Order: sequence, then structure tokens, then C-alpha cells
Amino acid sequence: MTKNKIKTKKSNKTLETAREAGYFGKKMLESAIRAQDEGKPIGWSMANWWEGDIIAKAMGVNLVYPENWGAFCASIRRAEPFLEISDGEGFPNTLCGYARNNIGFAKTLKENDFVIPADAPGGGLAKPIMMLASGAACDARYKWFQSLGRYLDGVPVWMLELPQTGAREFFLPENKANNLKFIVKELKLLIRFLEDLLKCKMDDAKLEAMVDQAFKTLGLAHEVDLLRRNVPSPMVSQDFWSIMIPHFYLPDDPEAYEFYQRVYAEVKHKVDNGIGAIPNEKYRMMFGELPPWHSIGFFDDIAERYGIAMVMESWNYHAPTPLPEEEIDGVTDPLERIARLCYHKYTEYNPAALKYAVAPSYFSAPFLEYAEIYRTDGFMAHPLMSCRPATYTLMQTLQRLEEKRLVPGVVVNGDIIDLRVFNLEEAYSKVEAFTETMDHYRELRRKAGMAW
Amino acid sequence: MEEQNNTGLRRAAEIYRHRGLRARQLKEEGKKIFGYFCCYPPIELLTALDITPIRVLGNMDEPVTEADDYLPPVMCIFCRSAFDLGMKAQYNYFDGFVGAHACDGAERTSFIWQNYIHSPCNFQLDVPHTAHGPALTFFKEQIALFQKTLETFCGTQIHPDDLRQAIALHNRQRALVRELYGLRKPNPPLVSGTEMLQVLIAVMSIPVTEGNDLLQAVINEVTTRANPHAPKHRLLIWGSLIDHAAFTELIESSGFNIVVEDTAIGTRPFWHDIEMTADPLDGISDHYLNEVLCPRTFRETGPSYQADSDARFNYLKEFAKHWNVDGVFANIIRNCDIHGYEVPVIKDYLNAIGLPVLVIEQDYSTAALEPLRTRFEAFAESIDGY
Ligand code: SF4
Ligand code: SF4
Repeated sequence: MTKNKIKTKKSNKTLETAREAGYFGKKMLESAIRAQDEGKPIGWSMANWWEGDIIAKAMGVNLVYPENWGAFCASIRRAEPFLEISDGEGFPNTLCGYARNNIGFAKTLKENDFVIPADAPGGGLAKPIMMLASGAACDARYKWFQSLGRYLDGVPVWMLELPQTGAREFFLPENKANNLKFIVKELKLLIRFLEDLLKCKMDDAKLEAMVDQAFKTLGLAHEVDLLRRNVPSPMVSQDFWSIMIPHFYLPDDPEAYEFYQRVYAEVKHKVDNGIGAIPNEKYRMMFGELPPWHSIGFFDDIAERYGIAMVMESWNYHAPTPLPEEEIDGVTDPLERIARLCYHKYTEYNPAALKYAVAPSYFSAPFLEYAEIYRTDGFMAHPLMSCRPATYTLMQTLQRLEEKRLVPGVVVNGDIIDLRVFNLEEAYSKVEAFTETMDHYRELRRKAGMAW
Repeated sequence: MEEQNNTGLRRAAEIYRHRGLRARQLKEEGKKIFGYFCCYPPIELLTALDITPIRVLGNMDEPVTEADDYLPPVMCIFCRSAFDLGMKAQYNYFDGFVGAHACDGAERTSFIWQNYIHSPCNFQLDVPHTAHGPALTFFKEQIALFQKTLETFCGTQIHPDDLRQAIALHNRQRALVRELYGLRKPNPPLVSGTEMLQVLIAVMSIPVTEGNDLLQAVINEVTTRANPHAPKHRLLIWGSLIDHAAFTELIESSGFNIVVEDTAIGTRPFWHDIEMTADPLDGISDHYLNEVLCPRTFRETGPSYQADSDARFNYLKEFAKHWNVDGVFANIIRNCDIHGYEVPVIKDYLNAIGLPVLVIEQDYSTAALEPLRTRFEAFAESIDGY
């Protein structure tokens, strides 16, 4: 493990609106704490790609996301003590850093009779009455909540499945219908669980309104993504990692929609006036997967030193492309609409996955498409010690990007939480050398008659 | 390989040592061979089509070299090792490959396997993480798609009677494995952990009928021979799989008899029979989703931590009672999240029923085994005072 040589430098977001986005993270945490004071139900939730959290919120549960809180703890360098507690409890230190952070916090909370310690980062997480686990994307999303039973004794975990069909199997007749039917049934079970737990009924009109709102917000977030195709790039990943919180966690919140209207206006203004997010954009790169939250300033530095704009990042956190009309026209049942949205999110890159032989479609295939759409010169892979699911497919992505799209990659090792594995000096020298590689491949693409 | 008419343990050891040999012979005879990952693909469908299912395993003895460019070092090294062998053409006799969404590692490795190691037929089985009613329906539908894929590939339909016969053959195998497990109840056990491992890997490397003959021969042999084993501490292994005899030999030469393994090359694939249902896919789907007890499947939480642990692990209490277990080795292949998250709860549960637990996170390498010996020896000593 390398010595910690990290500067404590926050990122300079290039969008005015990105600077406002911290409000939404605070809003989630504060409303849970307020809910606790008012005796209202609180839930801890995994990000679940809009499958179940809207339902829980429509039932009046105030949700907080320990994953997101983990990123926050890491960004202010407050995760370490919680990680040590988790290790001391016997959990392997190779588990997801966010999970270890949350396990450490849950133990602290239990030992404090469930009164949040006064110095908890961001005000801490209030004790939940339920935890909403997810079968999507990684095993940590349910094993972690299950393991919290040790500290949150008697708090039920509801496991919401999101099927993940293979790229080839996606095209088999019946498979889509089976998947959608399954998701809807899972949602009905979730509603039944919540109704039993909360002793109240789902307000269908409220759910419908929230789903409508979520579709609108996600649509707008996608419009912002489209604007990022422009050269020079009107915003960069440093902006995205701030503005993603409202659409990823709060798309049903009208404030999130209003926020995206302002984001859209600002980004559009920059596009219309040819204003780039960074001065002298020379290289356009993609980033996968989760960033080193503790050292986001690194991206500003490479922009300044080498003219590198991070123009697109992991598929995970982005709104999907809007559902094709024939998919959603006349579909009014909110559960069916949610099912179609999540299924679409998880399968829309399946054709690309087959074309480039990069199944599973999630994680890898989108980058193969982004390469051209966002006219990228390179890919930065950030293998994470503690988020393996996001790391498993990085090598494949690197390989296929170079082979099929003539877009080279550079590997910068690091972690979402652990400070020890990120060596800033080494990262700079790798990136500096990589600029020459990008020049070389630009030439290769030109010779091969590629469009960018 | 020595004479094929070796029977019993000797033959099992031979097959274990030359895992692909029988499959290659069958292939030369014109038979179809499919590889599969972990305990979840329903191999009965393959048997019904006269396809030999071969379990994909790694090799703790072989450094991972080829996989480095495709799977990152932070991944479960068992998965990396299996893929590495695939890239080194050690499974190049497969006519097909069945991946499953067993755990993250198995799922991603299966996908990447299909991208880089090309078999004529591939299928990726989505196994739900929950055992809710709708999950079972969905899983059955997935299995039906798998069936159709196989039928298209083979150009022939599976007749329900053939499927029933395949289920019966695999149930027979399960029963024989359980019978063999029963022979580990005496003290000393009639079968060692190393012998058991070799037998189980052997039956996962040959057609089911040959596996059943082998099991029967092993049972005959161990019940009639002079028991070569001496009484030692009786160990239950829980957790990630062990697929190399060097590991079991190390444990058994450090003061233990391994008497039962709750792992993917142990009780998990064999402990329950598939029920013969009117539609065979009902019994098959129920078996694989509900009866294969890997902690990768989420079971509803109970009203309390204790109730939840009891519901999830009471079968271990039964194992401990019937096999008269003195201690438990929780084997965690480094980066196996499924078992990693369970470490504190499994310790809580087993300690509460009076069983000491040794947890080791290991790197799936025979080169890294010897340093573990002192830990097993110390554990054996500590059991005396427990
Ligand atoms: S392992 Fe990765 S994807 Fe899973 S919860 Fe942790 S950070 Fe999120
Ligand atoms: S953790 Fe479970 S599902 Fe994954 S490889 Fe091991 S036994 Fe199979």
C-alpha cells in the first residue's frame, strides 16, 4: 500500500448550479432527523434505480441513503473511525467501504441508545424503522443491511429484487414480459410489507403524482446529459457528481425538478455561447466508476495541467434515455411505469453489449457507446479496493474500448473511502504520460476514418 | 491416468487429479459437454439431453496469469482462478457454458467468460436474490428459457419423462452423497475430508450415472475397509468453497477430522432432493431457489436478530448435533462478500450454541497454505479448553 500523499483539496465545480446541489444531500439528512423528532417513520435505503424508494416515500417513510452518507463521510475525511469499528467487529476489511462506514456508525448509534452522537458527520443517520435493500448491481446492497441486524435488532430488512437479465437472454421471446411482471409483483409485495408495518394504506393518487414527477425530473436530467455531447464540454464530472444527488435520490421532489431546470438553463447557455467547463479543453475523457471522494480536487488539477475535461462518467448514476413512446403510451399504472423505467435502465445497453461483446450490459457497454457520442479521447479506470462490483468489469471496458473504439485507457488505483490506496503524485505522472497515448490514438482513429 | 477399472476412492482420486480427462474422452465419442458455475444451474436439464455437466472450478496450485488482463485483483480469487484456467484452454472441450447470477463474482465472471471464451452455446441464468413467491415464478420462467435455449442448440426437445429420469438420477446422487456423509458420523469418521472432497469433485466431473456408480463403490469400500483414520477434533467447515485437497490435508494434519462441509462443494448441492412435481420445472425451481442454502439468497428477516439467526442457521445446529462437531472453521476466500458479511453473525450464532469458530480469510493459493497450519493447531488446542 502506498503512503498517503493526498492534498485535502475540494473540487472547483464549474457550474454555479452545482454549487447549490449540496442542499439536497443536507435536505435528506435533515428531514430524517426532523422526522425522528416528530415521531415519523424513517427508512434506510439502498439506491435502487427508482424501483422502490418512491413507493416507500409515497407511504410517508423518510428515506436516507447510507451509501450516499458514506460518500459524504469520505469527502470530509470522517469515515476512518467508523471503518475501524467495523473491522473491530470482525467484518472483513475488504468489504464495501460505505458498508463498513455504516456498520461502524450503527454500532456507535446502538451504544448511544440510538441518540445520534452530537458530532456525527452531517448530523448522522436517524434510527430507521425499516431498511430497504436492493438486489440490483451488487451483493453489498442486501448483505450489508442484513448484517446490521446485530445493531438494529428487530428492524426489518425488505429485500426488493431487480432482475438482471443477460444481454443475449434479453432478446429471448417472453423474457421481457417475465421481467416486467416480476418487478410489478415485487413492488406489490413491498407495498403490502409497508402497509403492514406502517398500518396505513398506500395513497395511489400521491404515488401517481410522485411517479409523474420522477419521470419529468429524470427526463430533464437526461437532457442535460445530451448537452454534454458538445465540444467544448459545458460541464464536467466534478459538476455531475454534485448534481446527481437530486435526480438519483430525489427525482420525485418538485424542488429537484426546479433545480434541474436551472442546471439545464446554465448548461444550455454555455453550449449556446461555446463556453467550455474548463479553459483550453484539449482532451475529453470518460471516468469509471466511483471517484475518490476524498480527493476530487485531482480532477481540477488535471484539467488545469493537461486540459483534460471529464466529459462523461459511469452509467450507474445517470438517468436513462426516455422510454420509447410505444413502451409507455397508455401505461397509467404507476407500478407498471416504475417497472418499465427500471427495466429500461438496466437493459437499454444490451444491443451495444452484444455488438461489442461486453456483457453484462450494465457498467461496460455504455462506455462503448459514450466513446463516440461524447467524442472521447481516453478512459480513466479507477479500480476500487472496496467497491468490487464497480471494479469487476473495468478491465473488460479498458480492453474493448481500445480494441473496438480505439479509445485508450489509463488505470489510476484508488478507493471511494480508503485514503491509503490513492497516490496523487503517481496519478499525475500516469496521466501526464497518458496524454501522449491519447494523441497517438487520435491519429489512429483519424486514419481508421472514425468520426471523432 | 491409471486403469479405468480402478474403483472407489482410488478412482475418485484419479478423476480428481485429472478433472477434464473423462469429459474429453466423452467428447471424442461425440457426446456434448457443458460447463457450469456454482450450485445454481439446474444440471438435470443437461442430463435429460445426454449432455454431461462439468462443474467449473479453479486451481489453488496454479498462479493466476492470463486472467489479470480481464478480472481485477480485488475480485474473489476463486473466480479469477477459474477464468484463468478457461483462458488457458483447460476447459476448451465445452460445447456450452451456463453462467448464473449466484453472487456478484460468479455473475460477472460468467459474463466475462462468455465474452472471451467462446463456446457454441451459452446461457446466463438470472437467479433472484429473494425467495418471495414471485421470485420463484420468475426463476421457473428463467429455467424454461434455459430449457428452450438447450433444445434449440441440440435440435431436440426434452421429453418430460427424460427430465423426470434425469431428476431421479441426480436425486439418487444426492442420496448417495448423504449416505456417504452419514459414514462420517462415527468417531473416527469412515471417510476423511480429503477423501470426501476428491469424491465430490470427481462426481462433478463425470456423467451422473458414472458418478452414482462411483459413489456406490466408495460407500462399499469405506464400509468394508479397516478404518485408517484416528479420532481427532471434529470440524465443520462453513463458508466459501474448498476445491483443493492440499487445504483439507493441511487441516486434517493439524489436529482435525473434517466431518461436514456447509459449502458449495459440500452439503449445499446435495442436501435436498428435487420433488417430482407434475411439471418437473416446479420441483427444479423450488429446489434451486429454496433448498440450496447459500447465504447469497436473502430470507425474510425475523422479528429479532436472534430469531433471524435461528431461522437462517438452525440447520448448522442440526449438523453440529448429528456429526458431533467440536468446532467450526469459517473459510472466507478473500473478497467473497457473500460469506464476508456473515462473519460476525455466524460467530454469534455458533458461539451461542457452544461451538468455537476459527475465521480465516485466505488467498486461495497452495503456496499460502502452510502459514495457516499454526492457526489450525492453535485452534485445535483451544478446543480442548472450550
Ligand atoms: S459495493 Fe459498490 S455498488 Fe455496492 S454498495 Fe458498496 S459502493 Fe455501492
Ligand atoms: S458465495 Fe455462494 S453463490 Fe457465490 S460462488 Fe460461493 S457458494 Fe456460489
